[in-house]
Amino acid sequence: MTIDSTLPALTYILVFPGFTFLAVYGFFLQWFDRKLSAVMQNRVGPPWYQALADFIKLLAKEVIVPEVCDTVMFKVLPYFAMAAVMTSVFMLPVWTDALYAFQGDLIVVIYLLTIPTVTFFLAGWSSTSPYATIGAMRVLTQLFAYEVPLMLALIGPAILAGTWNISEIAGFFTNNKLYMLAQIPGLIIALLALQGKLERVPFDIPHAKNEIVGGQFTEYSGRLLAFFYLAIDMEMVVGVALVNAVFLGGTLGTAGLLGMAVFLAKTMAIVFLLTLVKVAMGRVRIDQMVRGCWQILAPLCLAQILFDIFLKFKLG
Amino acid sequence: MSEFEKEEKLKAQLEDKFGGAISDMIIQRKDRVWFEIKAEQLVELMNFMKTGMGFNRVSTITGVDEGEKLGAFYHLTDENGIVTVRAKTPRTDPHLPTITGVFPGAEPYERELADMFGIKIDGLKPGRRYPLPDDFPTDQYPLRKDWKVGDAYPEEKTSPATEAK
Amino acid sequence: MTKMTIPLGPQHPALKEPVNFSLVLEGEQITGSTVNLGYNHRGIEKAAESRTYLQDIYLLERVCGICSHSHTTCYLTCVEEIAKAEVPERAKAIRTIVAELERIHSHLLWLGIAGYEMGFETLFMYSWRDREQVLDCLELVSGNRVHYAMNTIGGVRRDITPEQKTEILRRVSILEERTKYYIKLGTEEATVLARTQNVGLLPHDVAMNLGTIGPTGRASGIKCDVRKHEPYLLYGKLDFKEITHDTNDVFGRLVVRVLELVESYKIIRQVLNYLPDGPIAVKVPAKIGPGEATNRYEAPRGEDIHYVKANGTDKPERVKVRAPTMANYVAVPYMLNSGYLADAPMTIAAIDPCMSCTDRAMVYDTKKNKVRIYGWDDLRKLGIEHYKKRGVDFSKL
Repeated sequence: MTIDSTLPALTYILVFPGFTFLAVYGFFLQWFDRKLSAVMQNRVGPPWYQALADFIKLLAKEVIVPEVCDTVMFKVLPYFAMAAVMTSVFMLPVWTDALYAFQGDLIVVIYLLTIPTVTFFLAGWSSTSPYATIGAMRVLTQLFAYEVPLMLALIGPAILAGTWNISEIAGFFTNNKLYMLAQIPGLIIALLALQGKLERVPFDIPHAKNEIVGGQFTEYSGRLLAFFYLAIDMEMVVGVALVNAVFLGGTLGTAGLLGMAVFLAKTMAIVFLLTLVKVAMGRVRIDQMVRGCWQILAPLCLAQILFDIFLKFKLG
Repeated sequence: MSEFEKEEKLKAQLEDKFGGAISDMIIQRKDRVWFEIKAEQLVELMNFMKTGMGFNRVSTITGVDEGEKLGAFYHLTDENGIVTVRAKTPRTDPHLPTITGVFPGAEPYERELADMFGIKIDGLKPGRRYPLPDDFPTDQYPLRKDWKVGDAYPEEKTSPATEAK
Repeated sequence: MTKMTIPLGPQHPALKEPVNFSLVLEGEQITGSTVNLGYNHRGIEKAAESRTYLQDIYLLERVCGICSHSHTTCYLTCVEEIAKAEVPERAKAIRTIVAELERIHSHLLWLGIAGYEMGFETLFMYSWRDREQVLDCLELVSGNRVHYAMNTIGGVRRDITPEQKTEILRRVSILEERTKYYIKLGTEEATVLARTQNVGLLPHDVAMNLGTIGPTGRASGIKCDVRKHEPYLLYGKLDFKEITHDTNDVFGRLVVRVLELVESYKIIRQVLNYLPDGPIAVKVPAKIGPGEATNRYEAPRGEDIHYVKANGTDKPERVKVRAPTMANYVAVPYMLNSGYLADAPMTIAAIDPCMSCTDRAMVYDTKKNKVRIYGWDDLRKLGIEHYKKRGVDFSKL
């Protein structure tokens, strides 16, 4: 797809599937996740506008920048995180095929999704307070732990489909629905790794409030913190959409409003699974996480890839 | 006195070992023994109580203002009973040896004694004061009987409204 | 790697207690730690000397919000011993019931905190929900949820009626059912095991040397349950087990506490079915002594010891309170050292710290001489007006 004029491009970036859509759906998913876990934990949970209310409230608060930190970097990082997430959404099939689909966009999306994590690290590091510094180091350690299984898990379907194009992978699974069943171990690993990427229980180690208060965001406040939280919410949408596209056939060949509905229903189902993981577990320790990711998840991924290669040969 | 066989045995052993240093030995009831020890022999007695008699814990140290003297009551406990060892020191120059060498767990109680009664604990390793705040006057000891509320921070002199009439 | 010192408390999301730990870190590993206490001094011991014995009950009840019954019962056993008052059997039975209900309430609270500290919020929500059952029992018996005010010199203030008895038994059965679930969860759930096993190790001999008590000590294999070894109230007549564990870690402390819940249910059933007839209190003269007494009591967190000295007037000469947390704090730096930062909150929480129990001997100062008393309605009105001025109207709620 090419862009003929600036107007549609701006619409894509600002409205759909860019900023507005991501923000609104991100807020919704955040509420959905919170409400679900509340119900599972026997609580009432927040009203539907809670996420938006939190955001607006944070926007109204004073921004405090620590004197000793790198001011420019400190202020720029939240927007950087958000921009990276927003860019990646254009390569994902949301209501129909992706806006900018090309060979290798899977790698680009994975790369773009690493950027927010790196900004979290830089945010903590540039804050220079003890809690934030430890949080930053944990972000980086955790990145090295979950990134490998996540990538390996995503490579499996790509090998099977014989393409590095996310939309084509989705198309492949739409046409060969039975092969989805063969990808279930990879899907589980990808969901666990995604939980690590989104820093949710059991992998919310970088900002474990019982240990290091706010972790990498300890020194952040007001608008900057609001945008970091927004970036995380958006990252959840993108991460869930990526898993949906790579493992579950994206919109399953539907388009338009129906495609939209399929997309929303499937992503919400994935969030439901993520919430289930969050509610049923406690937080693990960083060393346990690294060991688990490298010694259990990564070998399992390799087994999945081998299986996919075998399947591929059998396919012809 | 076969009723208090265990306690009598303890009494006999202690008097045998420490003789004149021990006085006012009272067997109050089953499992409760009280006696006084001269401050110089406190550590030695503690050592004996721990290794020889199996009192493995000093549960707490109560400071008591007795007018001329300040008392420190060491409540030693084993599984079944409490033996209270009283050590006394003159109010004018209160000094007691530390027992943390024998019971490391007694450290906070000794700090409390030092803060609240002004009893200097010889040999206690330096550390942050407990329980009084850092800015509290060092020459005032709140649990002594002559200390009144408001002595420490005169500008806030006041008496709690709930005090008994 | 450079060393870094991070403060844990006195204000920290993990510690609801005003205490400060300075942790020296090398990466994620703790290489040194110090404890600073004394942020919560209220001068209770000094204040107790200027109040009558009866007033002191209410003062000592406020030493701690959770073991309020423990402190008053321990204090009263001392006072009654000096006054040579014979407490009626029924009063002892009621004190025992409230004491065990309190233990259940405290252990369930701890279980929730433990879940929270390991990031397992569902466990926290569940156990606190179930804790409402026992709080309801306490409210039923005493009229209060936290400061029960059941004790008076020479007995208790309220009787337990047959209806209350059946209600308590019903709720205890519910709790027993839930506790079975927690035992299963605590000993089988993978993340719980990963976060508790071999964490905060305190070997038997070290625990012995540092004088560790309560569930913390029992998880290191020390037999230190005062209820068993020096029975007070009715415990000498009851059939219950002393729970010990030999893993020396946080897991052991969790198991000890959860199994103690089961023993407490057993005790409550026994006492409720035994409940002898008779008066619930005897009269004790206001002037007591002279004399002195010291007694122990197994509070939910461990051995609580009180010393009371009477001088023949209606006010005590000296009251000394040693709460269990005080004895256990000495062991915390040992448990923290060479552990992970991530385990620090868990390790600290595992002794079930209670700072208001521990820091209690200094004089408070009231800044204003005037005392204004707000009733509940006044407070509510004040709150509503406060927000109305800021444009939010809560009066419709």
